[in-house]
Amino acid sequence: MAERTYLQAISDGLRQEMRRDERVFVMGEDIGAFGGAFKVTDGLLAEFGAARVRDVPIAEAGIIGTAVGTAIAGLRPICEMQFADFISCGFDQLVNVAGKMHYRLGLAVPMVVRLPSGGGFSGGPFHSQNPEAWFMHAPGLKVVAPSTPEDAKGLLAAAVRDPNPVVFLEHKHLYRRVKGAVPEGDHTTEMRARVARVGSDLTVVAYGAMVHAALDAAEQVDASIEVVDLRSLVPLDEEAILASVRKTSKVLVVDEANRTCAAGAQVAALIADRAFEDLDGPVRRVAAPDVPIPFSPPLEQAILPSSQSIREAMDELLAY
Amino acid sequence: MSSSPTETIVDIVLPAMGTSISEGTVIEWHKQVGDPVAIDEVICEISTDKVDTDCPSPVAGVVTEILVAVGQTVDVGTIIARVATGDGPTLSAPPDAPAPAIEEPAATNGHTSGASNGRSQRYSPVVQRMSEVHGVDLADVPGTGRGGRVTKRDVLAYLKQAPTESALHSDSPYIADEPAVAASTPPAAAPDDRGGHLQPLSRMRQAIGAAMRNSLQTAATCHTVVECDFTRVEKRRRDLGVTALPLVARAVIDVLRSDFPALNATLDGTTLTRYDRVHLGIAVSLGDEGLIVPVIHDAQDLSPDGLSARIKDLATRARAKQLAPDEVQGATFTITNPGRSGAVIATPIINVPQVAILDLEAVVRRPVVVTDGDGNEMIAIRSMVNLVLGWDHRAIDGVYAAEFLTAVRRQLESVS
Amino acid sequence: MSAAVVHAVPEVTQLTDADRIELLRFMLLMRGIEERGLTLYKQGKVPGSFYDGRGQEAISVGATFALDRGDAVSSPLIRDLGAHLVRGTDIADIFRHYMGRENPLSHGREGNVHFGDHRLGVVGMVSMLPDMMVVANGLALAFALQGEARCALSFFGDGATSRGDWHEAMNWAAVDRLPVVYVLENNHFAYSTPTERQFAVSPIARAQAYGIASETVDGNDVEAVFGAVSRARLRALAGDGPTLIEAETMRMHGHGAHDDARYVAPELLREWEARDPIARQATALAGLVDADALRRDVDAQVEEAVVAAMTAPMADPSGAVTGVFHVGEPEPIGTGAAPWSGFRQGG
Repeated sequence: MAERTYLQAISDGLRQEMRRDERVFVMGEDIGAFGGAFKVTDGLLAEFGAARVRDVPIAEAGIIGTAVGTAIAGLRPICEMQFADFISCGFDQLVNVAGKMHYRLGLAVPMVVRLPSGGGFSGGPFHSQNPEAWFMHAPGLKVVAPSTPEDAKGLLAAAVRDPNPVVFLEHKHLYRRVKGAVPEGDHTTEMRARVARVGSDLTVVAYGAMVHAALDAAEQVDASIEVVDLRSLVPLDEEAILASVRKTSKVLVVDEANRTCAAGAQVAALIADRAFEDLDGPVRRVAAPDVPIPFSPPLEQAILPSSQSIREAMDELLAY
Repeated sequence: MSSSPTETIVDIVLPAMGTSISEGTVIEWHKQVGDPVAIDEVICEISTDKVDTDCPSPVAGVVTEILVAVGQTVDVGTIIARVATGDGPTLSAPPDAPAPAIEEPAATNGHTSGASNGRSQRYSPVVQRMSEVHGVDLADVPGTGRGGRVTKRDVLAYLKQAPTESALHSDSPYIADEPAVAASTPPAAAPDDRGGHLQPLSRMRQAIGAAMRNSLQTAATCHTVVECDFTRVEKRRRDLGVTALPLVARAVIDVLRSDFPALNATLDGTTLTRYDRVHLGIAVSLGDEGLIVPVIHDAQDLSPDGLSARIKDLATRARAKQLAPDEVQGATFTITNPGRSGAVIATPIINVPQVAILDLEAVVRRPVVVTDGDGNEMIAIRSMVNLVLGWDHRAIDGVYAAEFLTAVRRQLESVS
Repeated sequence: MSAAVVHAVPEVTQLTDADRIELLRFMLLMRGIEERGLTLYKQGKVPGSFYDGRGQEAISVGATFALDRGDAVSSPLIRDLGAHLVRGTDIADIFRHYMGRENPLSHGREGNVHFGDHRLGVVGMVSMLPDMMVVANGLALAFALQGEARCALSFFGDGATSRGDWHEAMNWAAVDRLPVVYVLENNHFAYSTPTERQFAVSPIARAQAYGIASETVDGNDVEAVFGAVSRARLRALAGDGPTLIEAETMRMHGHGAHDDARYVAPELLREWEARDPIARQATALAGLVDADALRRDVDAQVEEAVVAAMTAPMADPSGAVTGVFHVGEPEPIGTGAAPWSGFRQGG
């Protein structure tokens, strides 16, 4: 085990997969010589060369569609959107070409799309989004969102080895702020949830950066709080969610993304459908309001969920 | 519509020219009824919002019907004409089965919550479910939730301090306990200073004990015994490949229904309920754990073979703890058969509110006095068994009991 | 960044008599299937919409005939049935697919010309055009990275050149000198939109601006199309990057069976009818082959396929909710037929 930041763990994962399988290559804007906007791909060009670490034009549709072409020809592309927000420029290729290919034609598309996502640093409306819900809704795409360095490396490896298109959400806020033990060598994580904190009075379901906010909030309340870290949105670990709800009977679902039709809405619907008889209170959600992420710090802080807003929601639900 | 073995009638339908087209108008017929038409030859022309086009016939044959007039607008898929082919099956597609509804691979939903308890206070789903399972009256549970609502924790706390009572079946003194509890072996107790090992009675044993005491305290229990020559029964049962119990049961049923209805009855206080049908309880031993009495409902409808099969099934499932609640309720008369243990007389306790229980004891070989056809008496070796009736003196008296047993005996001694 | 130039054209590759007859036969097969398919559509046997490439057969047949086994096509579009045929796609399966019956290409999940037998190196199209051009870039990139002597071929029409993906693909292919061949089928109309309303500068004239070699060819001359694509293919395999080939033709039917193309001037259709690619090739081969007899053979082959296709049941509804994700080791695209004699002789 080594102590690594979330960002270093992703780099380790890229390196691990590229060493393990020569078909794996990365492409994106400024990822080669420059090492990437966040330095995730720093050092890869020197080790693997320009053929496998490719700087590309500003062409998100081109990046996604080209990745599809290389994948069906037998390679394993890991492409990057410089910010998750720019996936909208490649939406058509991702949803209509990559996502639907296997269902329609029986042709597998083994590719990964890395999306640096999330806000909290005055990135403004086009550098702060959490777009995962769009892709949960698109049949044929898998969607994963690690919250720890260990899972960042492990889920990236799992995504690369999956024969389907996988959208990999790496939360920018966690890049350098979260450190943890990461297994060295070959390490993969199953696309399933994990229980980040065991409890019996109330369950918080979260993923990505919100897992850490939920854990902070759990420390502050005088109750036994269980935190479920989804890790994978498609496939969604329904059994893990339901098992926790059956245990505690009170559940809070947290999204950093804006409320309407966020990933948490699907989780809440699942619980209402399948765990109704185990509920001792309404299924509550904490999420950002339906606004673009604003730039100025007081505005951004007002709308993004925090450990405090989660704590308040916990208190209210515990008292119900 | 006629159709000979060599002739098939084929429908011509209005085609869908494009995904958004829903109807079309016939603008000209190129063929009339009776005209021959070749395969792919144009039958008519149609007009739609998007395009005018012709309709080629899918088969060769003769036009037998024109169903839509020129200028008439019909929906896509409407049959507009029919063609009879003279040369057997043509290039028509197999009829399309209606598409069955797709079932999403959804997981099964949980069962709906039970009926509310009718109170104006609302209880959450989990609290309602717990109250049903544990038999808790939620009115007794103090609520610490918002606005005084009863929470799951409140119910759990209430259950911790409430005494647990097992449910008693009033019909049967032998009650199966819940599997987990009945199967558990109590921890070995340390010996006291006299070498005594203290061990609490199992819940089943306690339940049986309570039921026994209840019966003895309720009924005016008496016992009557009749000796029965079982030789013929023994022979008959071997012929049938059954035990004696089904033969005895059959005899009991016959006698109860013909002459002794007061014994096929239940007594509640001062009301005696007689039954037209015989619901026969058969005591089944569960070994050290105790006894249970599954019930053969409408036993009067079963032959000895049928009774034998039912008894076996119930006994097997009783020992596997798979009996349903209605299989241990509603008996009108009980038979117990502990005879294999070797005892010849016992004092069975009645399953109140029934009024009698028949105990079939051990079959033993005895020297008895028999009389031959000439009236001569001699000693013969016979299989003999005691039929013991436990009966409730509140409902009947001794003569009735003795006469009943004698009638049963006669029936069994004349089995052929 | 090198300036774009049109490189010296390699020697035109040779067609034997048998090749030329094969080209005619494939065009007849495409036309035969589409005429039969249109009739079936009007008889209610083909759900949804029906598209054909009447009058454009020379392009997809001629272009695909120039491909070797390992080359990939991403994708044949709605007027490019000939590409599927040259690669060896089973004709009965095509009819089953059209009719929504059980078939190995689509299992009823796709319809009309949205199919591609990936085992033969053909990727099926999506409706958003020209998305598949970008995928062709990806195929070409993979071939180049793996050092394989393979190229990717992409078809698109005049209308598709207006969308963003066209420009991203053109630009990127030039930057990376991808071994890709683009065939622009200019048939003058995108549905009802004439080219005058589609672009201010003809796409073929833009090729140089993107840094891409280009060539214009008579799209109704199947041998000319073959020649152009052969040259482009050799250029690609030599590492000289992509080529944009404009093949001029005319769309002889409406956009689909639901469009009677009343916006097309009748004189235009008459003019192009006289230049029908099949009649032209038949005339050119008059001494070599009886075109009518060939047509009859083709029709019999098509009929046999239709009969075989009709025996298949409608696709099973239970297949509607399966097959979204692949499980296990994925298989890349395969290789298809390469009927040109030059490939067998090593030419």
